Amino acid sequence: MPKSLFVDPAETRAAGKIVFDEIPVNQYNKTIKQERSRYSDEDLVRIYRDITILREFESMLNQIKTQGLYNGIETTYPGPAHLSIGQEAACVGQAYLLDQNDFTFGSHRSHSEILAKALSCINKLSEQELMTIMEGFLGGSALRATEKLGPVDDVKELAIRFILYGTLSEIFARDTGFHKGMGGSMHAFFLPFGIYPNNAIVGGSAAIATGAALFKKVNDKQGIVVCNSGDGSMARGPVWEAMNFAAMDQFHTLWESHNGGMPILYNVFNNSYGMGDQTRGETMGYDMLARIGSGISPTQFHAERIDGFNPLAVIDAMERKLKILRAGEGPVLLDTLTYRFSGHSTSDQNAYRTKEEIDAWREVDPIITYRKGLVDAGVASDSKMEEILAETAERMTTICKAASDPAISPYVDFKADPAVVERLMFSNEKVEKLDDREPEVNMPLNEVPAYKKLKEKERCPVVNGKPVSKMKLFNLRDALSEVIYDRFYEDPTLIAYGEDCRDWGGAFAVYRGMMDAFPHCRLFNSPIAEAAIVGTAVGYAVSGGRALVELMYADFIGCAGDEIFNQMSKWQAMSAGILKMPVVLRVSVGSKYGAQHSQDWTALCAHIPGLKVCFPATPWEAKGLMESALKGTDPVVFFESQRIYDVGEQFHEGGVPAERYEIEFGDVNKVRDGKDITILTIGAALYRAVDAAKQLSEKYGMEADIINIHSLVPLDYTKIAESVRKTGRVVLVSDACARGSFLNDVAKNITELCFDDLDAPPVVVGARNWITPPFEFDEFFFPQAGWILDAIHEKIVPLPGHTVENGCTEAEAYRRAKQGV
Amino acid sequence: MANAVIMPKAGITVESCIIGTWEKKIGDEVKIGDILFTYETDKASFECESTAEGTLLEIFFEEGDEVPCLVNVCAVGNQGEDCSALRPDSSDEQAADVEEVKEPQQVKEAPVAVASTASDGGKSSVSPRAKKLAERAGVDASLATPTGPNGRIIERDIRNVMDNAPVAAAEVAQTASAAQNIVEEYKDVKFSGIRRAISKSMHTSLSTMAQLTHNTSFDASAILAYRKQLKKMEGDYAGITLGDIVLYAVSRTLLNHPDLNANMLDDNSIRLFNHVNLGVAVDTPRGLMVPTIFHADEMSLLEISKEVKKLAAECREGNISPDKLTGGSFTVSNLGNLGVESFTPVINPPQTGILGVCTTVDRVRKGADGVLEIYPAMALSLTYDHRAVDGSPAARFQKELCKNLENFTVLLAK
Repeated sequence: MPKSLFVDPAETRAAGKIVFDEIPVNQYNKTIKQERSRYSDEDLVRIYRDITILREFESMLNQIKTQGLYNGIETTYPGPAHLSIGQEAACVGQAYLLDQNDFTFGSHRSHSEILAKALSCINKLSEQELMTIMEGFLGGSALRATEKLGPVDDVKELAIRFILYGTLSEIFARDTGFHKGMGGSMHAFFLPFGIYPNNAIVGGSAAIATGAALFKKVNDKQGIVVCNSGDGSMARGPVWEAMNFAAMDQFHTLWESHNGGMPILYNVFNNSYGMGDQTRGETMGYDMLARIGSGISPTQFHAERIDGFNPLAVIDAMERKLKILRAGEGPVLLDTLTYRFSGHSTSDQNAYRTKEEIDAWREVDPIITYRKGLVDAGVASDSKMEEILAETAERMTTICKAASDPAISPYVDFKADPAVVERLMFSNEKVEKLDDREPEVNMPLNEVPAYKKLKEKERCPVVNGKPVSKMKLFNLRDALSEVIYDRFYEDPTLIAYGEDCRDWGGAFAVYRGMMDAFPHCRLFNSPIAEAAIVGTAVGYAVSGGRALVELMYADFIGCAGDEIFNQMSKWQAMSAGILKMPVVLRVSVGSKYGAQHSQDWTALCAHIPGLKVCFPATPWEAKGLMESALKGTDPVVFFESQRIYDVGEQFHEGGVPAERYEIEFGDVNKVRDGKDITILTIGAALYRAVDAAKQLSEKYGMEADIINIHSLVPLDYTKIAESVRKTGRVVLVSDACARGSFLNDVAKNITELCFDDLDAPPVVVGARNWITPPFEFDEFFFPQAGWILDAIHEKIVPLPGHTVENGCTEAEAYRRAKQGV
Repeated sequence: MANAVIMPKAGITVESCIIGTWEKKIGDEVKIGDILFTYETDKASFECESTAEGTLLEIFFEEGDEVPCLVNVCAVGNQGEDCSALRPDSSDEQAADVEEVKEPQQVKEAPVAVASTASDGGKSSVSPRAKKLAERAGVDASLATPTGPNGRIIERDIRNVMDNAPVAAAEVAQTASAAQNIVEEYKDVKFSGIRRAISKSMHTSLSTMAQLTHNTSFDASAILAYRKQLKKMEGDYAGITLGDIVLYAVSRTLLNHPDLNANMLDDNSIRLFNHVNLGVAVDTPRGLMVPTIFHADEMSLLEISKEVKKLAAECREGNISPDKLTGGSFTVSNLGNLGVESFTPVINPPQTGILGVCTTVDRVRKGADGVLEIYPAMALSLTYDHRAVDGSPAARFQKELCKNLENFTVLLAK
């Protein structure tokens, strides 16, 4: 909604028509003979060699999975094998012109892509560069393991062995794998060659690769990004969200010095099948996949269909598309035709296609036709081809033998080191800035009008005995704002985006005034596309930047489910710590907009391993936690509550400090001291607990300890247990629906840790297990102070004279559970 | 065919009700919906409508009877019809299988219900915190008056017991003071915690064991002489009492009679101790307490004497560690100094025996030369649990003990 862009009714309502350009389909028609002027014979033969290496690798896995045997080596593994037999030429063609500055992302079927990109880089890099990379990777441990395969004179041959062995050991889940076996077949990658992770979620790479392109664009990095996927992924919403994100007009209209298209190529290895469903003719309506680009942008994504069975056709297309991308005219879509001879996986019975169909494609298998072309054109003799095949098989046998041998390629020893995965879950680093350049800003911080206003506010709710007016009070919103300003002026890679983040200042005004301070490339409005928002942030972070993204309402977490629960959370550990994930995802818990805009979904996020989850309820907590989150290297889901953006700091002595400080994740905040009962809170329920504590004190002479759990994951139970041991009684309150609430987990842990000290069971007071009714009925759905007293009276210690209004007897608890409400 | 009308269940927690008045009598014609009788719970009074039509044939319970819920109260049917099968107590002989299964359950439930309406003595749950505190303080948690939700005993209830100022007692006092205008004929006093503990323990003792007592006596000349000798000594020796001497003798005799130096674990097993952990009954202002002298068999007479004095003082001052109030393998209770000549001491569960020490009286016996002579005789009353020990072995223990006491200096030499 920038004011600079005028929505002109005359122009908007004017008559006209949309005209499309023609989309090329398999237009490449050169012969090898014709291409000998373009390629040296050596290049043409190396293309063949690379195809054979890829084919041998996949055939080996096929034999291992189906027979437990490869060239006399008995071996197997239980993990997946989504093989790309048949697709090798397309992969080699794609990688031919790419170097290590170009990032590739893949799918579940990406072994060939990875190996082709690696072979291309090995060819381009000098021997010294290769040695530096291999020595530097994991402290040289992968190279040491490769050296055990036997002496090699040629560094390039060593590098080929290195890449094959590292990939195979990764697939075999060995400690010597490129990420210690923690990723496996569907998550393999090798960053030094610009090979970024492939992804087990269909289309999972689309938004991530787009985020990597965003990183290159914002931070002026060399190279382009290739997002590889299969044709099945074209049906997925997040893929469309990502392509639309990459095509945003603002990259040409509003990004000023950073104007220009996203440097990303969406390449679809179109093998006609999404597992067993046939895309063209059955599950899709595009007829030809290349048509999709025309639905997204006027450039039609420069889409074309190319013949992936001809490596030279692919190289030809790549050459033209790279030019477009480097000129800032991306994104690009390639519909690269290919065919998969192998099944979707090794358990595929090919029930969905005929033998005739497979045979027909086999007849044009590039490993036969391209070889024949080379021989016919006199590029190389047939015996040379046989030599290459023999060399490839021999090399692969050596690799397989070593990767299968537990002496050379041991598994991670869980018995000796039970914490091996535990250590990988979080990187727990504190990094002030992820790049040394000066942050790009529009003016010095102390001149930013909104920032100056923040600094003038009163940081305590009461000054000289008088309450501070709402307008002058430094509130929770201001606390977040202040840190974000500070961090933007320190870390040049830090960017923030989400729906209406810029001109609007964020739906809840946390970014108010920031558009004055930051250029578009650092603070921008994203499309209403939650999967793309989170997915691109993941890609931005794994590429080396820091992203602060926002989903407006916590209820929209569902729209970004895969991106939060599978991508943001898991890549640090799946990469054995090679990737870092400095993403802070802000989500706001609503209160007035009904059932789809009022939910506290902390439990969903806390359930997923690998996410840090926090929910500050006071300005002091908000500032300290945001500071910590924005310095850390771990993914954080940062919950906020719309009920309390306006609250001042009522608990921390002296209000919110003007200076910088961090609150460590795991800490809890004790806001009240008492000896008779412990009240644990999450989120805005804190203030109702304070009210309940006041009533307990005034009416019943009971003093409550109140501890706010502002960090759910991680969570240090020391102070909680200390309090419960003292009081023997604990009630836990939050606005989350009681069933499955995170507080149940806390209650269970307290029961185990403090059982002998408990005078009553820990009691969770949560929202009812209903839809959130309209705001008018808030008090019947969300926990109120009275509910806390009811719970104490009924389940912990009877309060003399207390009348229960919202209690839950045992019989009622049975009934509700039985009814599922 | 005759139909029964059952005692309705007036609420989910109501287990039994008391019949108020019968509105119909046997022989009356009854329609469905007619009021048959009134009944009461501890909270309210209700009317029971007939669920059957015909003649009221038989009434199984009278006014004022407490009837478990769902049990047949009366029978309605055709005049002259036999309805004995509906009689609650007749089901054993006549009723079908289903009823046979039902019947014991109902009978079982009834006393529980009675107990719970009496708001005391019912089985209360104890919070872990209260349980831990009770253990630490040596308090019997079941004696606490529950004030937690669902009749749960919580921490403060245990603290009440420890403070000997139960809420109930305070309430009684209040009621009493409110009604001061009325002439007081008597005063109801709630037991203190210790009194309640004694009450419970003693009752359990006598109601669960097969106890019987043997009385015997021995010539106390030797121990009296020895005591005289000690009295002349300086320091702690002078403080050794006759009771201490008996304790010493018991500690040395008991190991030869393992069944008496034991704890019953249940009806089928017994724990035999390798040492003698001697319980000593001590009279305190708050009531009877029984501290334990652990490993008395390894202590000298002087050590035993000193330990008894120390434990007794701690009991009287009320600062004895709860650990010292348990763990006994046998108990000695001495009423001799109060002139008691014979008594039946009550076993301290789960022990199997207790020795009562009585006063010394002069007795006459025929001397070696046929001349009557007077000698000081001290009586010993041994109560034992016949489940664990038979009469002869118990008597043998007593006999050996007497012999050891009569030849005390020899025993000391051992």
